[in-house]
This record gives sequence, structure tokens and C-alpha cells, in this order.
Amino acid sequence: MKNIDQHFLDNLIKDQSFINWIKKSNRNDIQYWNSWISNNPEQIETIELAKSIVLGIRFKETVIAEEKIDIELQKALGTIQSKTKPVLPFYKQKKSFAFYGIAASILMIFGLFIGLDKYNYNTTTVHKTAFGEIINLTLPDGTSVVLNGNSTISYDKENSRDINLIGEAYFKVKPIPATKAKFWVTTNDLKVEVYGTQFHVNTRDEKTDVVLDEGSIHLVLDNGITKKMIPGEFVSFSKNTENITHKKVNLQVPYGLWRDGTYIFNNLTLKEVMKNMEYTYGITTNFDTKELEKKLISGGIPNKNLKICLAAIEKSANVNIIQNNDTLTITNNN
Amino acid sequence: MEISSEKSLWYLFIEGDLNAFSSLFKHFYPMLHNYGLKISGNTELTEDSLQSFFVYLHEHRHTIGNVTNIKAYLFISYRRSLLNNLKKERKYTSYDDSNILESNFSLSIEELSTKQETFKLKSVILIKLLNSLSAREREAIYLKYYSDLNTKEIAEVMDITYQSVLNTLQKAFTKLRNTSESSLIQNILNS
Repeated sequence: MKNIDQHFLDNLIKDQSFINWIKKSNRNDIQYWNSWISNNPEQIETIELAKSIVLGIRFKETVIAEEKIDIELQKALGTIQSKTKPVLPFYKQKKSFAFYGIAASILMIFGLFIGLDKYNYNTTTVHKTAFGEIINLTLPDGTSVVLNGNSTISYDKENSRDINLIGEAYFKVKPIPATKAKFWVTTNDLKVEVYGTQFHVNTRDEKTDVVLDEGSIHLVLDNGITKKMIPGEFVSFSKNTENITHKKVNLQVPYGLWRDGTYIFNNLTLKEVMKNMEYTYGITTNFDTKELEKKLISGGIPNKNLKICLAAIEKSANVNIIQNNDTLTITNNN
Repeated sequence: MEISSEKSLWYLFIEGDLNAFSSLFKHFYPMLHNYGLKISGNTELTEDSLQSFFVYLHEHRHTIGNVTNIKAYLFISYRRSLLNNLKKERKYTSYDDSNILESNFSLSIEELSTKQETFKLKSVILIKLLNSLSAREREAIYLKYYSDLNTKEIAEVMDITYQSVLNTLQKAFTKLRNTSESSLIQNILNS
């Protein structure tokens, strides 16, 4: 058997000068090791073995196509994102059908498909209004809902006292004194919890406004804070900005609400008023001058159809509104 | 990838930065893919376990302790997770255990560079010799010369001591040298 000096071998393969000799990269090292080897012929086996280990086996690099890596990366990112969705508070976990609907349609756009078996649409009732369409609904439990244009409510067939709202609606909840059954309205920002009462919910403009007319209600905001409302109060909350307003509705507070098919505005700027119209009727508004946007409007505006609505706004703000298809232009009334 | 930029990438990844995650993924995916394929010999299993490995890594990034050598860390953890998957898989398929172990790290002639300085041997013979080594010796050779891990890193990945990596490499190359010499002599005698 060959004579291998174990300790010497271990040192050799770590020795930079020796490695330089193998790779023929340094003249001094080459000279040194060449003369060393001729003086130490008994170590030739160890030297040769160390040389083999340093040189090793040359492998070709296997290339994986960039496209393949990208596909795999996107797959992993998709899994991560679906797993790191913020954990919803308990009350939302059960009921956010609207949320799943939106999430699903967004995913569809990106060509992904997720299993929705758990939230089969067949068990969900959805009422959706088109721009400018207002419908009066009576839910299975007797609650009446007036749904403004461009709005959606949805609820599980088994439980019509637990509904989701996107848009604007006025609720007259039928109380069930025997069971004290609650009624819930869930929006993107908060959840309204009531026994029997009349109130207005508006989710436009990335916030939810609630105005209570009768009875009493609890709000559970998306950030976990709860609020109790008494009649005549107005609460506005935005999940995104965490802005919260809780006021009594009176002549000093600007507000806009919608009740029985009538908008009631109090010291609201024309710009705010037109925003309401834009959401409900799917129109866009241009103001001739900046001053026009700041005009204040107070009073009731019937919201039966756009023509009547615009005529009332023209009168109350003393402006001219010219309609061209879906675009409105507001000018001074001279 | 430079060491310092790798370190800061890793830091950002731990912080939850998905861009850092993507960079790490792109950088390490090919070598881990290749390594996994060598262990399992199964492309589907390799890719599935790589997917879950990277997702797991992101999810548990806060519980990852101080990592000094990112490459070695990834090789170690991926090896472990793949071996777990392989064990599960084996419960359902009726492969012979020893069969699977022996097929690990089998090397093919296409994987050899045509320029072999170590032995003056034809690739066909070299690959035969390599595949006659034990799976462990092949893995050590693969990690050293293909994945470019140093001896200390190989010791961590294969969960053996530094000295036994050296011994394994030495044994493997002694075998290769002996066989190559005798086959050289054989060639000379035959010609």
C-alpha cells in the first residue's frame, strides 16, 4: 500500500503556496515545490493525492432556464401572499362574502384560480344596483332596505340579518323582541350591530359613514374599537387612514345623508355633493372654476333620477350643469 | 454574490422584504435544485420540496437564529427538509431502501467538464469510477467541486466532522487514483 502522510496531506490541501504550484500561478511557488519534491521523493504519493483533491472533478454547470426560476418564484410568492393575508377579526372571518368576491375577481384578473368551495356563491344572496338605480328591498326577516345606485348587499341565505354592504343603503331593521336577534351590517371599515332601528350606511370614498335615526347601535371598527351611537349621531371611519369622526348631526356639522330617496345636505361643498352623485350615477364632474367647488349646499335633494337631482342642485347652488353623456360640466349661472 | 451584499440581503429577508426574498430565491434556486435532484433523483419531488422550503423559510424567518454562512445554512436546511419528504414518499412507494440510497448522487457523463486535469482518463471511465464510490463519498465530491462548498461547510451540511470530510475526500481520491492507474496500465497492456 502507498505511504500517505495524513497530517501532511491535510496541511497541503489548505496551503495556498501548494495550490499555486498545482495551478501553476506563481513562479516562486512552482520553483519551491518542484525542488521540494525532488528532495523528498518518499512523499510523492501524498503530493499526488493532495493534487487530485485540490483539482478535484470538473463538473459542467447545469443551467436552469431563467423562465423556469421565475415561474417557481412567482408560485412561491403567491403562496406567501395568500398565507400572510392579515388575520381578520373574528366577526369578519365568518361573514366577508363581499371581501371574498372582490378578492376572487382580482385573482381572476391575474389569471389565478383559488378554490372557493367553502364560500359557494349559491348560498349567498346578492342584490346589486346599476348606476342611478334605486331599489326597495324587504329582507326575509322583514327588514326593509333602500339600496342606492351602484351599491351591493349580500348575505347568506340562511341568515339575512347578517349582511355585507358596498355602497350606500338605508336600513329599517325589524326588531325581533322575542329572541333579541341582532342585525349586522359589515362594511370594509366597520361593522354595525343593532337590534331594531333605522340608520344610513355609506361606504363610498374609502370610508364608511353611519347616521343613526332611531334606536341604538354598536359599531365595531376594523381596528377593534367599539362605538355606541345614539339617534341623531354621525360616525365616519376609514380603515385605511384610521380617521374617525363621531358627532351629533346638527346645523353646525357639514354632512350629507340619504334617506327615503332624498339626499339631505347640510353646509356641504358642491364638490362633496357631486362626489355623491358620481358614485351613485357613474358620472364625472368638471368644475369651470375652483370657486364653484367650494359653494355650500344645504337642503334636501330628491334622488329619484339624475335629471331631477341635477335640476335641484342647479337651483340650490345657483349654478348651471351641462350634461354630455356621462360628463357633467358645472359653470357659473350668469 | 458578494458576501457583504449577501449578508444585507439576508437581513432584509428576515425583515420580511419580498424583494430580498426574490433575490435569494433566484440566486440559490439553481444550486439547490441541482443538489435536490442529486439526492432524490426525482424532479417533481425536488421542485415541490423547494417550493415548500422557500415558503417555510419566509414564514419562519423570525425563528431563524443567527446565520453566519447563508449558503451552508440553506444547503443544510434544504437537505433536511428534502430528506423528510423523501422518507414520507418512501412510505407510499415500494422502493428498496438500499436501492434509493445507492442511486443518490449518481453522476452522468454529461455532467463532467471535458477538460479534466486530475486524471488522464476518458470521461466514460472516470464516471464509472465516480459512480463506484459510496453515496457519501459522491456527495462530498459533489458538494466540494460542483456546489463549491469548502470543507467546513461540507462538514456542516453532511452533519459529519471536519476530519471525516477530509477522510472521505481522501478515500475517494485514493480509490480514483488507484483505479485510474491500474486502468492506465490496462490500457497500455491492451494496446
